[in-house]
Amino acid sequence: MTYIAAIVLLIGVTLYAIRTGSIKVGLAELISGLLFGGNDNVDVIRDLRFPRIIVAIMSGAALAVSGVLLQSVMRNPLADAGVIGISAGAGFVSVLTVMIWPMLFFWMPLFSVIGGLIACFLVYTFSWRSGLQPLRLILVGVAINALFTGLNQLLGFRGGIAMSTANQASSSMFALKTWDDVKVIVLYGVIGLIAAFALSTWCNLLALQDRTAGNLGLNVMRARVIVSFVAVLLASVATAIGGLIAFVGLLVPHISRQLIGTDHRLLIPFSAIMGGLLILIADTVGRTLLTQTEIPASVIMTIIGGPFLIFMLMRSDRVHGN
Amino acid sequence: MEIKELSFAYKHRAPIINGITTEFQKGKITTIIGPNGSGKSTLLGLMARNYIPQAGKIIVEGRQLQQLKAKELAKLLAVVHQQNEAPYDLTVERLVAYGRLPYRHMFSQETEEDREAIDWALEVTKLAKLRRQRLHELSGGQKQRAWIAMALAQKTSVLFLDEPTTYLDIFYQIELLELVKELNETYGLTIVMVLHDVNQAVRYSDEIKVVKDGSIIAEGAPEDVMTVELMKQVYDVKAIIRRDEETGMYIVPIAVKA
Repeated sequence: MTYIAAIVLLIGVTLYAIRTGSIKVGLAELISGLLFGGNDNVDVIRDLRFPRIIVAIMSGAALAVSGVLLQSVMRNPLADAGVIGISAGAGFVSVLTVMIWPMLFFWMPLFSVIGGLIACFLVYTFSWRSGLQPLRLILVGVAINALFTGLNQLLGFRGGIAMSTANQASSSMFALKTWDDVKVIVLYGVIGLIAAFALSTWCNLLALQDRTAGNLGLNVMRARVIVSFVAVLLASVATAIGGLIAFVGLLVPHISRQLIGTDHRLLIPFSAIMGGLLILIADTVGRTLLTQTEIPASVIMTIIGGPFLIFMLMRSDRVHGN
Repeated sequence: MEIKELSFAYKHRAPIINGITTEFQKGKITTIIGPNGSGKSTLLGLMARNYIPQAGKIIVEGRQLQQLKAKELAKLLAVVHQQNEAPYDLTVERLVAYGRLPYRHMFSQETEEDREAIDWALEVTKLAKLRRQRLHELSGGQKQRAWIAMALAQKTSVLFLDEPTTYLDIFYQIELLELVKELNETYGLTIVMVLHDVNQAVRYSDEIKVVKDGSIIAEGAPEDVMTVELMKQVYDVKAIIRRDEETGMYIVPIAVKA
């Protein structure tokens, strides 16, 4: 039931997002324009607005599911690609590479994944000895995030060639997305989302203690590495194409757990839908709220996300007990 | 199940298991006892492959423990731990279904066999009526039975229990030990457990192994093993041992200095 409501809502918002903005068209006009061509307004919408909507939905879905996976593998409801530095690492390495070798632009998602993996590896390394203790892991993550965010800003200050590409990965602007971006994010995003769904049973087992999961026949170390890899892939691709958006991976899984429960077989697809919905709303509000200028979705998410994080911290003691 | 020259130390610590060699009899209830820090739970943990020994080997059903795949091991032996964590909305039924995972592949559906194993495990642990309840809503005793049901759903011939009664009221302690006895007598499960209470160990075990400072210092039938001297040596207490027509042998520690 909740599922159907979420899907209907996503379709509804998508239709609204297609029709609204500086160019407005009716649904009938839109469909005939898409099918038979010959309508300039519809062509503009197809080339500019469609890619942006698809990228927004895919980024949101990828980041939300990445959050679910990280939270399960780190046994920590506060783990999120943005918070623990994976997105920042992904952004930094991809921007740096493209600055040095601009012709590698096409491979940006790959370097993004490498950056994400480096950040993830660092977080694990420095929190491993404490047995991945939740608080320590988050603190290490915050430090790694600060490091990469600083490095990103350094690249930004260098100006010149950096600016054109750096903007893309260091703040999220869904405007100017093309069908090429769509191809990349849909390809890697869908692979990542399917992989995530396939791993849902492992995620369920990781919620138990390691030794219990091990006694049930799960190779815990291997499961951790694989689930982390998929989480990094999703977050990095979303960062490479959609840019840095904080808090989606925190907010969406939390709300989804309240609505649908902790069974990952349901939670993962539901979080994907909710994540897509949330970013699409943020982007649509951002581009229609002010007529003169646009507010990036990442800015909107940060403004909603901060207070939400505090709210979550205050509630979590009460709801979950542990 | 056989153990040969087993040694283990936690990282950067003194060894906690010192070259233990012993055997566990098939189809019997064996209880490991010993004071805190003696290594009794660690020994069980090593046998469940929760830790990797530095030296020695463990042989289960004629095969070396370290060489078994995780799923193969999970079909041979199941473990119930002392304390467990679970998501707040996990139901009894879903927990017990986890016990079937060693038999499942990534996308395989639940089979008739899975269904039967789950129903049987719930029946034996008297949880059939509570199957749709959340684990967190159950009493301590029911919760522990649910974890046992999960282990039973694995359909192994060997069941390990690590201090299963520690956090329970006396009623639930006895209820649980009666269940363990029933599992052994009716379904022929080989049971290895760690217990704190020497009298419970005596009453519910075919064999007792006494661990102190990482070594087994006595093993055998409870009547033969438990003596006044042993209580002094292991727990450093003066105890009296009596026999009662109804309960058999019982031990009462009466003073800390002999």
